[in-house]
Amino acid sequence: MKEYVLDEPLTEDFLKFLENFGSVRFLEQLRKPYFSFEKEVFISIKGFVGDCNVEVRYKKEFQDLVADYFHLLLYYYDQGDRGILSLKGQEDTIRKKMKTRMDPGPGNGP
Amino acid sequence: MEHSPQDTQPQLIYLNNAATTWPKPAEVLEEVAECLRQPLHEPGRTTGNGSLDYPSAAREALAAFFHAGPPENFVFTQNATDSLNLLIHGFAKKTGMPFHAITTGLEHNSVLRPLTALEQDGMISLTVVPFTDNRVNLAAIKKAICEDTRLVVMTHGSNVLGSVQDIRPIAEYLHANDIFFIVDGAQTAGHIQVDFSDIPAGAFVFTGHKALFGIPGIGGFFIADPGAIAITRQGGTGTDSRTLTHPSGMPVRFEAGTPNYPGIASLYAGIRFITATGQEAIEKKNRDLTRYFIRELKNIRGITLYTENPDLPVVSFDIAGIDNHEAGFILARAYNVITRTGLHCAPLVHERIDGGNGCIRASFSYFTSRDELSAAVLAIREVAESADTQIRPD
Repeated sequence: MKEYVLDEPLTEDFLKFLENFGSVRFLEQLRKPYFSFEKEVFISIKGFVGDCNVEVRYKKEFQDLVADYFHLLLYYYDQGDRGILSLKGQEDTIRKKMKTRMDPGPGNGP
Repeated sequence: MEHSPQDTQPQLIYLNNAATTWPKPAEVLEEVAECLRQPLHEPGRTTGNGSLDYPSAAREALAAFFHAGPPENFVFTQNATDSLNLLIHGFAKKTGMPFHAITTGLEHNSVLRPLTALEQDGMISLTVVPFTDNRVNLAAIKKAICEDTRLVVMTHGSNVLGSVQDIRPIAEYLHANDIFFIVDGAQTAGHIQVDFSDIPAGAFVFTGHKALFGIPGIGGFFIADPGAIAITRQGGTGTDSRTLTHPSGMPVRFEAGTPNYPGIASLYAGIRFITATGQEAIEKKNRDLTRYFIRELKNIRGITLYTENPDLPVVSFDIAGIDNHEAGFILARAYNVITRTGLHCAPLVHERIDGGNGCIRASFSYFTSRDELSAAVLAIREVAESADTQIRPD
């Protein structure tokens, strides 16, 4: 688990971007509008819209492969719609590595 | 709103006292500071003129507080987990052959893990007695006893359900049958009166940083017959320094190296605070707070209470439609309400009550105020209503 302090507060627009990559839960009636993001096998994120602090948990099975995923989300968010496609491409690469690790197959082993 | 002794963060509503009490009485903080202002008085090692012999003073305070003695049979450790490790492994070493041990489904990992380690090493066979109505009674223990049962380790108070076990009949029965009984009093010491003058248990474990109001890093145990536990730690004691074997006298039999003087000073002051305040007054306040909190939670839709009549100021619950970790995160970050979520190091309890998912635990101390609980209830209501909207959208 890591806690990040971002340069700018999180926005609802960022949540819309996240929806392209996993499930987003948004409880906006609370004193501070809470959100969580869950991406199976990758990461989960918790935070509040309007806050700069965010808690990120990496899924331990592939921690080394997904350690940069939160940074990728921030980086590609800045690129708008083009960023969605680019990040999906990055995701495919990560998933292939995960698959290879889970099922090395002949010639794929260490 | 009532004022706590140290309102450094008046906006914080701290409901995690079953883990560590906060705030600490002003007397405790002052005693720790005083302990560190003077050179340490280390009996047998260095004598600081004018400074108090805190270990001896604290042992005497503990003996009076728990009605047990002699004071030298109170041993200082880091915490309850440390005490339990020392006692459980020390008992197994002393026994020297495989035996049967009993524990309960209410236990903390501080009991379960040392016992499981011994089981995996082939030192013991282990029976875990299930709880009924949040408690384990003598009949359930009796049922588990077999010919080679030598040890029972059992919590006095559940850290999840807040239930206090009636240990006296169990202690009497086990004593009569020559079975060593270790009582884990981590959750009860300081919260309720524990009178060992008529409870013939082998050992009673306590920690300083919970309801005894000490600082983290100090705990201990009382042992009736020190010879029942083998020495598993060796080192400097300030006594018998010519011999290369560790002394067997009390309390150094189980204490090696420089003690945690500030921790011992805090424990000493914590016990004096409880005595001056009155155990009954503390129990009454905790009882009133707990009843109020439960009554209020019952009025919130979507709350599942896992305990409705706890003996200790511990209330475990869940909010429908939201994971307990998420709820705890929201309560802490959006409302400054600090609870503890998850399994509370008691996996067997959670297997029974919530399928192993864990829950939210709110726990109080003498310094918790009714106003703080009112604010916490409002926060929980908001979270519950918000989660409920997600379950039942308009």
